[in-house]
Amino acid sequence: MRALLALTMLMLVAASAAAQHQHQHGKPGAAGPEAFTATPAFGPDGTLWLVRAMADKIVVVRSTDLGKTFSEPVAVTPEPMNLDWGPDARARIVVDPKGGLVVTFAIFQDRNFNGRAFYARSRDNGASFSKPQPITADQTSQRFETAAVDPSTGRVFAAWLDKRNVAKARAAGKPYPGAALAYAWEDGEAGFGPTSIALDNTCECCRLGIAFAGPGKPAVVFRNIFPGSIRDHAVVTFKDEKTPGPVRRVSADEWKIEACPHHGPSIAILPDGSYHVAWFTDGSARKGLFYARADNGDTPFGAPRALSTPRRQPARPYLLANGTALHVVWKEFDGTKSMVRWQVSHDSGRTWSDPRTVADTVDASDHPLLAANAGRAYLSWLTKADGYRLIPLEDQP
Amino acid sequence: MIRTFLIVLMLSLASAASQAADLQSFGRGSWSKLRAAHDGQPTVIHFWGLTCAPCLVEMPEWGKLRTERPDMRLVMVAADPVPQDPARVADMLSRADLGQVENWAFTDRFNERLRYEIDPAWAGELPRTLLIDRDGKETVLTGVADLAEVRAWLEAQKKR
Repeated sequence: MRALLALTMLMLVAASAAAQHQHQHGKPGAAGPEAFTATPAFGPDGTLWLVRAMADKIVVVRSTDLGKTFSEPVAVTPEPMNLDWGPDARARIVVDPKGGLVVTFAIFQDRNFNGRAFYARSRDNGASFSKPQPITADQTSQRFETAAVDPSTGRVFAAWLDKRNVAKARAAGKPYPGAALAYAWEDGEAGFGPTSIALDNTCECCRLGIAFAGPGKPAVVFRNIFPGSIRDHAVVTFKDEKTPGPVRRVSADEWKIEACPHHGPSIAILPDGSYHVAWFTDGSARKGLFYARADNGDTPFGAPRALSTPRRQPARPYLLANGTALHVVWKEFDGTKSMVRWQVSHDSGRTWSDPRTVADTVDASDHPLLAANAGRAYLSWLTKADGYRLIPLEDQP
Repeated sequence: MIRTFLIVLMLSLASAASQAADLQSFGRGSWSKLRAAHDGQPTVIHFWGLTCAPCLVEMPEWGKLRTERPDMRLVMVAADPVPQDPARVADMLSRADLGQVENWAFTDRFNERLRYEIDPAWAGELPRTLLIDRDGKETVLTGVADLAEVRAWLEAQKKR
């Protein structure tokens, strides 16, 4: 029996190797999945920086006229790379207070979706980027890397989902559901410093959200694994740069699933210290897209408020705090068009404007994102049919 | 021994190749065509994905059920949110002994649209199984299917 099993496994390996071989000699990437994302960041001078993941390369473009025209693309990846094309994966860009750029992205290392997260820097105002370097020395797997600049200190913080402890547990013959929430801070000149694990056993395939509660205090929202394989959302706020705080559950949706929803949350923190989270769930307690607020970093989150109805496939929520205004956008589908719906609150998320459609498209699209510049909030949205759009949101504080 | 092993290996690869799945492209409008083709016939439609780990674990069980119940009208739809390489989809189907059933794969990146045509309230979670009786009445099984439930449903269709 054991011999038969070994034989079967060998044959599977051989078949898989044959398929790989065939693929490499076919048209490269002709029929394979491809990354299709555009992620914005405004620089201190009002320049719009946009990082695009396009099939096997990552480029950065910039616009000095709010997205009307763009510069020639500058390559971040010098050679083609096997980019993570997962539905919640994304190349990202952040701008530090001195105008330095940091791009983060992940590749697939193998066919089992083990990832490797990289970063590249530009110190010449985007004219060139350093050769991409791994964000951490461990080679097991990293995905959903997200960088954010601490607005008080200008220091870049990065968090990602890391599988090093899965490998350790497996080697010890112990089960290890999910992945770990890992983080690192930039170490000055070279790149990111040592990696620490903030929390074990988070869900392994949803994007993270980061906001800052104070100097050295990032707050990370993620899909956690609660007892019984319940994959609901939680927030961890750091007490200082090296001390992750306790897990605070956002909502008891009771989504029991042994799989990867690929549908992560978003977080914003207003100057009054209030926390705001938007997320997708298909739990037994509620299904669809939801928003909840908490008065501060210690109090429980309030009752979830539904954004739209499940029959319109509401998805991919994104929050932005712009001064005291709080914006939320999400994607909906009406049977023909995908549209971005928008609401704004001026009282710390207690009451909201009626939802409005700010953009639509008749083909595939990236997730809607928000960015702010000079007191104004913008929707940033990449679509197949209509290209990239930066749309000002009118109702401002 | 080595020679025997090689022959077995070659035979198995050859048979895998000969059973390569005939994959139909699932795009806008495919769902109504698929449904019309099976109208009035009890049909099992299983949605899976190459990027869905529990689906890949479950697949061989569907292959076994297919062997056990050759009378079952089984349609497999690979519904990955980002369209996958058809060669890899076909490879997985063959390995699960499902290369010979009616096979479709999402080829349109406008996933919202494809899902909406199938069921407006489907958020895209996989696996998902749809049991459709003679009168078109649908039973949805979300997540990994309890095949005892599928067997019971197949028996109930016979008696009608």
